[in-house]
Amino acid sequence: MSAEKSPELRELSYAEAIREAMDIALGSDPRVILMGEDIGVYGGAFQVTGDLVHKYGTDRVMDTPISELGGAGVAVGAALTGLRPIFEFQFSDFAALAMEQIVNQAAKVRFMLGGAVSVPLVMRFPAGSGTGAAAQHSQSIEAWLGHVPGLKVVQPSTPEDAKGMLLAALDDPDPVMIFEHKILYKMKGHVPEGRYTTPIGKAAVRREGKDVSIVATSLMVHKALSAADQLASEGIDCDVIDLRTVRPMDRETVLASVRKTGRLICVYEGVKTLGVGAEVSAMVAESDAFDFLDAPIVRLGGSESPIPYNPELEKAVVPQVPDILEAARNIAKGQI
Amino acid sequence: MPVEVIMPKVDMDMASGKVATWHVLPGEYVEKGTPLFDIETDKAAMEVEAEASGFLHHPAAEGVDIPIGQPVAWLYQEGEELGEPPVRTALADADDKPSPQPVSETGSEPVCADETDEILPQQFGASDKVRATPLARSIAQDAALELTEIAGTGPRGRIQAIDVRGQVEARLRHTSAVQFQPESGPLNISRSRDGAGMPVVLIHGFGSDASSWKPLEAYLQGRPVIRIELPGHGKSPKLRIDSFTELSSAIRRAFDMLDIERAHLVGHSLGGALALSLADTRSKSIASLTLIAPGGLGPEVNGPALEGISKSTRAESLGPWLKVLVSDEKLITDGYVKAAMAPRKDPALRAAQARLCDTLFPDGVQPFDLKAALDRIDVPARIIWGKQDAIIPWRHALRAPGNIALHLFDGVGHMPQFEVPSEVGKILRQVYDGAS
Repeated sequence: MSAEKSPELRELSYAEAIREAMDIALGSDPRVILMGEDIGVYGGAFQVTGDLVHKYGTDRVMDTPISELGGAGVAVGAALTGLRPIFEFQFSDFAALAMEQIVNQAAKVRFMLGGAVSVPLVMRFPAGSGTGAAAQHSQSIEAWLGHVPGLKVVQPSTPEDAKGMLLAALDDPDPVMIFEHKILYKMKGHVPEGRYTTPIGKAAVRREGKDVSIVATSLMVHKALSAADQLASEGIDCDVIDLRTVRPMDRETVLASVRKTGRLICVYEGVKTLGVGAEVSAMVAESDAFDFLDAPIVRLGGSESPIPYNPELEKAVVPQVPDILEAARNIAKGQI
Repeated sequence: MPVEVIMPKVDMDMASGKVATWHVLPGEYVEKGTPLFDIETDKAAMEVEAEASGFLHHPAAEGVDIPIGQPVAWLYQEGEELGEPPVRTALADADDKPSPQPVSETGSEPVCADETDEILPQQFGASDKVRATPLARSIAQDAALELTEIAGTGPRGRIQAIDVRGQVEARLRHTSAVQFQPESGPLNISRSRDGAGMPVVLIHGFGSDASSWKPLEAYLQGRPVIRIELPGHGKSPKLRIDSFTELSSAIRRAFDMLDIERAHLVGHSLGGALALSLADTRSKSIASLTLIAPGGLGPEVNGPALEGISKSTRAESLGPWLKVLVSDEKLITDGYVKAAMAPRKDPALRAAQARLCDTLFPDGVQPFDLKAALDRIDVPARIIWGKQDAIIPWRHALRAPGNIALHLFDGVGHMPQFEVPSEVGKILRQVYDGAS
């Protein structure tokens, strides 16, 4: 047992934690700049940037025109010339407009120039459903970018990680894409003071159990934890793993859990087919942990549907706590 | 073709069950729906009805554990020739075939042979496409079991880990259980009839007896096993013991009378302290020493648990203490408690153990410190401990000198040889195969 004094349990919201990380970065590294639509005096579409423009001025907290492709191109160029830009999309869905810069430039330039340059770019993507914003403003597209070598893709699920991973992303010489679930912005949690980093590429075991491994991302981590509480009262003991990073994926943490429980459920909000859970499942199936599986792997992901506007339908197309409960009960009882 | 009567799965956790009583004699005719036998599991007893009409033959013995899905008898039709009991193999690819359920409850038609053929092994047994989970396959492979001989209880007859484990346990309990015969001497000593190589001497812990080694014995197969029962335990005489030293001498005398040159020594808990003390004085006769959650390495011991176990007069009071012994309480089934209670029904045994408890562990303390003996050990020695041990803290193991190997198991309590016998067996085999 370490005898260190317990850190002060200061709580911030997820959005405040991100703002604090950006504030620390702007204050300590003159190369850091913020770019994005309405992030200046308006404070950002989800008020994440807040009043940073008043503290650091419009040279460092820049409103960009309503052209994602243009803005992203400038950000890539800025990174190539030595700055550390943090580029915010209003909605992750709009990454579609900037795919050329993200996929063909940011991810590839380092390789195409023989490592002579790198693109130390951070992009922030407000993501996910649950806000009634319908089909073009609610998607979870982390798997799209996760498919591109040269990018790192993370999905912090807690305020502490949101701050730590943003600061870790700024330390990274290569482009890091951060998907922030919009529903999490208001979630409060302990956030340590000052500068610290949360490693990219390392999953977190949020709850230890021996019967079923639930590997979840982003908001689904919280749904999995809430299901796990209920399952514990039924005698089903779940290991809940917060994947945190989609690329590069933390193979060892996932495999160790599956070797322990023999049962795997993947829960993710992106479309189930060809999604993050498909990769987790395949990774397990291809590994030595395969020999420890005592039931087929279960994936709970988004339906084959655009996110509907109707609030009930919107809930129906992404995994909910009762879906996790049912899957875990069935897999634990050998009924799948 | 005769119709199989199988051991049904009547509760979730059930891996095997026993026929408690047959209601029908061999050769007798039963109508579908009449009570055939009573089944007894760890948790419940219930009546099982005949799913078809016919003459009952080849009934399984009462009181013997049978894995679920395995046949317990066959029902023959009039005129069917009665041969050897048919051999049953696992249902594989059952989903490709019509439902194996013989007939619906409401069916009033007599069962005809055609309908029941579908559950017979010949239809599926030859297929090499056994449906089994990867884990079930690995366990079966480790245990050298054929998957085709295991009935799967998962969807579409899939063999799951629980099915294979049930089979492994059943095998341990019956087909290849080590056979023992008594040895002469001042204490009750049982020695396995077969086995080759250097014998393994086992000394159990306080409140236990030789039968507690059963799970581990299966993993020592091939080696002769000699089990010493402590005074006042199992079938040993209830000698008056007034100190740890006296107890230790009693064990030494019993050991000296064994007809062996050298042996591997294993002791658990109090038996670990005794094994250590024995190895200290008889090092030339000891090839290796394995201490499982041994006593004697620190003052702490769970006094209330020891006292509670030694004084328990019935299963209701014994059960909760037995659960303290292990990390996963589910291991302590009602059946296990019942079995553990059986020898404790003898008031003289309880009195002897209560007295011994007070003598050896006054005020819930281990007054005997064997650290010096441990430091002197010059045979290969190791300590195995569960990190969730609630009887003796595993940290006592940290007092061991550096030449003694420590094996610490997470998620295991005071009885690694019962909770993870295959792991303990693996460690012992590594030592023994190295030393031969």
